[in-house]
Formats: sequence, structure tokens, C-alpha cells
Amino acid sequence: MDFTFSPEHIALRRMIREFAENEVAPIAAEIDRDHQVPMETMRKLGQVGLLGVCFPQEYGGMGAGEMGYCILMEEINRVCTSTGTNVGAHIGIGAMAIYLDGNDEQKRRYLIPLARGEQFAAFGLTESGAGSDAAAIRTRAVREGDSWILDGGKVFITNGGYADVVTVMAVTDPALGARGGITAFIVETDWEGFKVAREEDKMGIRGTSTAELVFEELRVPHENVLGKVGEGFVTFMKSLDMGRLTLGAACIGGAEMALESAVRWAKTRRQFGAELASKQAIQWKIADIATELEALRSLVYRVAWLVDTGQPFSQLAAMCKLYGSEVASRAIDIALQIHGGLGFSRDFPLERGFRDARIGEIYEGTSEVQRIVIASNIFREHGVRIRP
Amino acid sequence: MRIIVILGRVLDPSGIVVKGSAGRIFVNREEYLIQPADACALEAALRIKDGMAAEVVALPRSPLPDDDILRQAIARGADRAIYLTGPALKAADEAAMTGVLTAAIERLGGADLVLIGSTTLDTGQGQLGLRLAEALGGAQITGAWQVSSADGQVQAVLQRNGRYVAVEADPPVVVTLLPGARKLRYPDGVRLINVYRGVGEVGDALEAWDAADLVDEAALTPLVESRGKEFAPERERGVRASGTPAEMAQAAADALRQRMRR
Amino acid sequence: MDASYLDLLMAQQEEITEEAAGGGGVWVVADVVNGSIAPVTLEGIGAARTLADSLGAYVYGVLLGAGGADLAQTLYQAGADGVRVADDAGLSEFALEPYLHVLADLFEAEQPEVVILAATQQGQELAPRLAQRMGGGLIEHVTAVTLDEATRTVQGAVPIYGGQYFEILACPEARPQFLTIEPGTFPAPFVDSYRKGEPTLLDVEPATPAVRVIGPAEDFEPPPVPLKQAPVIVAAGRQVGGEAGFALVQQLATALGGRVAGDRGARDAGWIEAGQVVDVRGVEVAPEVYVAAGIRGDTFHNAAIEEAGFILAIHPDPHAPIFESADLGLEAEPQDVLPALLEALGD
Repeated sequence: MDFTFSPEHIALRRMIREFAENEVAPIAAEIDRDHQVPMETMRKLGQVGLLGVCFPQEYGGMGAGEMGYCILMEEINRVCTSTGTNVGAHIGIGAMAIYLDGNDEQKRRYLIPLARGEQFAAFGLTESGAGSDAAAIRTRAVREGDSWILDGGKVFITNGGYADVVTVMAVTDPALGARGGITAFIVETDWEGFKVAREEDKMGIRGTSTAELVFEELRVPHENVLGKVGEGFVTFMKSLDMGRLTLGAACIGGAEMALESAVRWAKTRRQFGAELASKQAIQWKIADIATELEALRSLVYRVAWLVDTGQPFSQLAAMCKLYGSEVASRAIDIALQIHGGLGFSRDFPLERGFRDARIGEIYEGTSEVQRIVIASNIFREHGVRIRP
Repeated sequence: MRIIVILGRVLDPSGIVVKGSAGRIFVNREEYLIQPADACALEAALRIKDGMAAEVVALPRSPLPDDDILRQAIARGADRAIYLTGPALKAADEAAMTGVLTAAIERLGGADLVLIGSTTLDTGQGQLGLRLAEALGGAQITGAWQVSSADGQVQAVLQRNGRYVAVEADPPVVVTLLPGARKLRYPDGVRLINVYRGVGEVGDALEAWDAADLVDEAALTPLVESRGKEFAPERERGVRASGTPAEMAQAAADALRQRMRR
Repeated sequence: MDASYLDLLMAQQEEITEEAAGGGGVWVVADVVNGSIAPVTLEGIGAARTLADSLGAYVYGVLLGAGGADLAQTLYQAGADGVRVADDAGLSEFALEPYLHVLADLFEAEQPEVVILAATQQGQELAPRLAQRMGGGLIEHVTAVTLDEATRTVQGAVPIYGGQYFEILACPEARPQFLTIEPGTFPAPFVDSYRKGEPTLLDVEPATPAVRVIGPAEDFEPPPVPLKQAPVIVAAGRQVGGEAGFALVQQLATALGGRVAGDRGARDAGWIEAGQVVDVRGVEVAPEVYVAAGIRGDTFHNAAIEEAGFILAIHPDPHAPIFESADLGLEAEPQDVLPALLEALGD
């Protein structure tokens, strides 16, 4: 087993770290404070090609695979979770759905500009009554000639406020439910009938757009059906699986940031005549974060390798997301405690990390859902079927 | 126009700790950067290329254990890079490198403009670019903030006697760039992946040339050798100046002047 | 004995007659600044003297310029045994090709063992070209020298990473050995005002500078440097002495070519912006030189200047924590020392 990263991935990491420290870190506090999406930074990411990191070069991407995408998520989230979330929703679920299930025409038309960062994407699944129970969506799509008319709405859609393209899940046959009744559509946001109703005012990741979308007689041409009619559930499960892995990668970044801050403060801060680093209680906390971080790192990059080599990864992706979000939360909590009062101050970046980390255990499949997925997979191997 | 850029690498100083009292240098984190002034030279070359037809070729400042910074140069926009190899090259100093680089430039078909950093971050040596200027028989412009080309000539902005001055010379010219002159642009993502994989448009951009094919071994012998290290006394904090305010001010002024001369 | 007889006696004894030179020697290329010999040149003559005495060789100075032949006496007084002067209108200001031409011809004829130039604009431009032309070795930015007498090789200490340590370099075989010396690092030599000599005038063949000055670059602005990368920072604190004290801080920043910053108190007082607050909750800085004027120095401020190269602290309270971080502390009111400091720097 060769655990080394390839030269191009090492070079890629270095490039992203340089970009993250020069372009993303300086704006992190400001976008959180002002509740702004970092549009200019997103465009710069596009200009250097990073918004297409995992997509093939023939579709405007870099061709660095899932491995490259995980590296991107790790390095960006190490300095700013908000920017990382914008990037993740754009690449990992928005554009990814088109890459996984789009036909060649759709990929040329939509994926290329998305990969180049000329346009931005979002993923429209969640509704007020359909969070963990994703199959319970109510947005309706009715066939009318050579188009479909969509009515309904979505909530908590990351990038929803500024995306050019949204992959929307709608019910095309209420009787069939998840199996055969849901279809995925590629929707352009400047079409008649598409509206961004409002933005959520969130506890954390305040540098992101989390929008409520409303569809009123939104006409979508039939060629914008993504994948096959009725097979939308499969499309969105595939996208979410990929998204789970990369969220785990994002959590590596978050945990790393927490660990680095904790170590730096522990070696600087002196109390009772010595640095905090010389106190065992602090040393043990740091050792714990570091150990969990390494375990997460091994897990995530192994799963990235599974994806890039075409092997099954769904169960392990759920573990990445579950473990990652919990590791990141624990790490930032410990780091905040080590910083004491300073960690609680809004003038110091740690509290922002603390607020940002909380959503990790909730979005893109709550930790509860991840546990169900993992357990169902285990029991299925033993012949037992579990339903949530 | 052919522009040669000379790039060197340096150990990131933030990863090393010098312990004078122990007479040792601890490398806690071994990471290499492109010499900051050389990075400015590369950016200057790429800017000229943005505005006119030019070929940018990267060459190494000193013997390199691997071709990584040359690949980085291609990822950032250089058209070609030449990795100089060979066991005889290992100990080469600036004088020896001048011989190899001059021969390499000749083999490339000459250069109109050679860009290099004015100083190295670690050793503070600026002689390589100027030795090259002598060997190439060209003009030299040292310590430039900016360099451009128009009407077949090379223009640069320098700082002389506290003022910014515009100068001009006919090719071939060696221009040395100040560190901090320009921020080096990011690599292009696709170019980066492809140059490290050796595929695509930039698949052939990096070539390896054996130094022994360019010059005789005798020419590669270094003239200058290292005879060891010396460490400055350990930093002493908490020293107080004594005397009247005027005396204290004088002590402070002397210390500041000492420090700022570096 | 009265003074005038003593003068006569001393004058007679100190007339330098140069032995027939057969080549070799330690040569120093002089820098002329504002019509006088630069201090670094005298430091170079001092270093040359020490080397020459051990080598059993002579010290020669080279003066290039226009109409400054009387400056040659300064070189004799500092210890030169011989001085060559190139006096020509074309040499009135340093330009590479005219100076290089004279020096290359001179050194080709004289074959020095060691050539010392200053690590100034002039010296740094000339030394590599001379070394390359003559096949000599060059060691730049030398701060101290010793001599390996057995091989007649100069060993120069060169600062690495800005002086974190020094590498000792030597050029054991190639000759001449070229060195550029760092100004202010060698001791100024004893100047014997009775020592004098007769300089040799060189023939100067004109040469055109290859680089033409077009004019001032009026529109040029160097790229902005963020505070955390600024090499020199002067910071004001609550105890700097009000508006008047802050004004002195600004003056000091200008005098040192540095940036103005401060602690949270300076921000509260409205003297600086949020982006200029030096604190772990603000900007962490790593300048070569940091001056803290009127900053008591709490943990959060001091942690933000840990990487600074040299810290000068000025505060009236001798127990202020800033003094523990500072390399040099002045226990005084900033308003009492800053004007004197500005004056001392002005020379």
C-alpha cells in the first residue's frame, strides 16, 4: 500500500494553501461579520481553475479527481469554513450532480462554465417538510408538452441566493414516491418563475448564502431533465454520497485549524510560571485532537482513493462525514477551552470556528442519518433490512 | 523575444530555529520556497509575455536535488524549463553556475533578456546575475522594481538616491529584481496537474540537460568554499539603557542604526 | 620643542614612498559620497591594513571620480600605502561601464591578491563583473575577515538569513579574491593626519554606460506591503503622551522608513485604525525592528510581536511587562526621549 500523495497532488495542495492564505484568510472575518458571500474570491478560485478541480479536463476541469477535491476542501476550510461551504456546495453537490448523471450535451452546456467558475451552482433538495426524510419532498413537476412545470419551493439551499444553475429535485409521480416518482432537473435561475425568497440569518457560516427558493409555474424544458425521469432519487443519493466524503475532508481542515491554534497558544501563554504546553492536561487534550485528526485524515483520503479507482465507497463516505463533523466539533471546542477568555472574544477568530463547526453535524445528512446509513449497510450484509 | 528566468530555491526560514548557544540549526519543518526575489523575476517575465510575443524559459540558480521549482515555473506560465543535472554540478558555486548557465543559454539560442532576483534570502548573494551579464557581454540593470520591453529595448524602474528612475538598455540585458517587487501569480490549475503528470500541452515543457554536455568538468569546480559556521551571541532580552534621556536616546539610536544596516 | 618643529618632524617621517609594485597587494575601491570618502571605504582600508600586514603586502586605494584628487590623502591617512586616481568627467557619477573599464585595466596590470569593495550600489555592481572578467572568486556582504596564512586565503563571515548565523567562506585558489564588505561592520581605522603620499594618476579611456537614464518614473508606486510583513514598525500605546506623543511616533516612523501601528489603547484614542492594532486579536507582526512607545505590553500585545527581530521599548513604568520582551528598554516618558532619539538618528 502506497500512502504517499502523487507529485501533482502535493503540488496542488501547495498551490491551494498559497491561495488560501493570501486570498481567503484575509477576508474570513469580514464575510462572517458582514454576512457576505465572497464573490470576488469565488471568481478568483474559478480563474485559477480550482472550481473544477475534480472534473475532467475535457469538461473544463482540472482532472485532479476526488483526491484533488478533498485536498481543496481541506485547505480552504482550514482558513475559512464559509468560503469552503460556498465551494463545496458549488462543486460537490451542485455541479457534481450534472457531472454524475448529465448527458454529454448537458455537461458541455452547464458543467464547463461551472468548472471554470464562470457560473455558480447549487443543489435544491431540502424542503421545510423534507430534511432527513429527503424522499418526502413536495415540489411538483408536471409534464406539459416538451417542458415540465414546477411548483413548490426549497429551503436552506446553500448558494441559492446567487447560483446561476440549481439542480432541483421534484416529484413527478406522487404515487411512486422515492422509487420512480422523483426527477432531477437542471434549472437556470434567471428563468421565469424562479425566485429567491429570502436568506437565512444563521449562527455560523455567515459568509454563505442559505436561501429559500420559490418555484411558481417554473417552466423547465425536457432536455433539462437530469438523468432519467423518475430516477432523481438515485441522482441525489449519488451526489450526497460524494458530498459526504468531501465534507469529511472539510472537517480535516477545521480540525487542523483548531489544533494549530491550540498548539500556538499553548506554547505562547504562560501561567503559574510556565507555558500551558508544559501542563499535562493541555498536552493530553492536544494529543487527543491530533490523534482523531490523523484517523480522520487516513479515512478520508482512503475513501477518496476508492472513488478515484471506481470502487464502492458509500458506507465509508457516511463514516467520513459522521466522524469528521464530530472530530471537528470536539477539536474546536477543546481549542476554545485552551484559549480561555480569549477564545470567547469576537476579536479572535476561534469563536467563529466554533459557530461554523456546529452545522457540520447537521447539514448534508445529520449525524443521525449517517449512523442509520452505516448501520443499514452493516446489517444488510448480514441479511437484515432496516428502514429509517 | 526570449526571456530567461533564473530560479533558485530556499529553505523556508519560518521552519528553522537557530540556537546560537548550541551552535546548531534545527530544521523543524523542511519546506522549500522559490527564492522570493527570483519569484519576482518570474512574474516580471510573465507580465512581459502577457503583453507581447515572448518565450519564457526557466533555468536553475544552483544545483537542485529535484525539478520541482522548475515545474512550478511552468505551472505558473513559463513556456519551458531546463533542469540541469549531473554529479559534477553538485558543488557548483556562482562562478561555476555562470559557466553552465551561459552554455545552456547558448544552446537555447541566446537570450534577449535575463531576469533573476537581486539577492538570495539565505546567503544574500547577488553576484550570479551580474556574472552572467559579464559572461553574456550584456548590460546590467540591478535592483529593479519593474521591467518591461518596448521598441526592441528593455526598460526598468529603479530606486536611486531615494527617487524612482526610469532607465533603458539594448538587449541582451540582465535585470535583477528586488524581492517584493511583484507578487508571483498563482499557477493555472490545469497546467499544474499536467506538468506534474508530464501530459498535455506542457508535457514536454520540462527538459533535463546534463551539465557535462554543456561545459568541461573543470569549469564546474567551485571557486568559493565554506569553512564552517559561526553563531551570533544569543539574543538577550530585558536590557535597559541607563543615564539621562539624551544618553538613553543615543544608545537607542546606535542600536537601531546597527540593526537597520542589515 | 614647540608645535611647529614637532609637525615638521612628523611630516618628514610619514611621507609614503611606494616600493616598486610587482603586483599583488590588497586593493580597496573607494566609494565617494557627496564629495567625500564614504565611511565604509575607510573601514575597508582598515580591514585591508590588517590583512596586508599578515600577508606582508601593501594596501592600495583606488579613487574614481571627477576632480577629487585631494580625497586621495584621506586614503593615505587611513592607512593606504599607495593610491591610484582616475580623474575624469565621465566618472563624476557611478556608471558601470566607465568604472569597470578603468578598474579592469588597472587590475589586469596590477594582479591584486585581494580586492575589497563596499557592499553599496557601486561595489555590488562592480565586484561580480570584475570577478567574472578576471576569473576571481567573490564573497559578498562580508562582516568580518580572518586570514588563512598558509594559503594566503581570506576567510569572510557572511550573514545568513539576515544574520541568524554566519557562514565562513573562502576562495582558496582563484585570484584575485574579491570581497564586498558590509558598511558599519568593520571598525573605523585610526586616521593618522600626518600620513600623506603622492597618488598615481591613471589614464582614463572613456566608455559609454550601457544603461541610459530616461528620467524620473513619476507614476511609479511600489506595491503596498501589509503591516504584518512590514520590516520596520513604530507603535504607540496609551502612555505615549497623548496627541503630541503620537505625533512623535509618526515622525519616528518616517525617519526609520517604517509603518505606524499601536495597541488597543491607541485605537480607542482614535490615533490608528483597527488594521493597525498589534495584538493577537488584531495583527501579528514580525518586523526586523519594532519600537513600542508608551505600550505597557500585556500578554496579548507581546504575543503578537514575538517574531520581531529587535524590540525597542520606551515606557515610564520600570515594571511594565514590555521590558521583558524588549531587546533594549528605555525607562522614560516617550515625550522625553523621542525628540532626542530623532535628533540622534538625524546625523
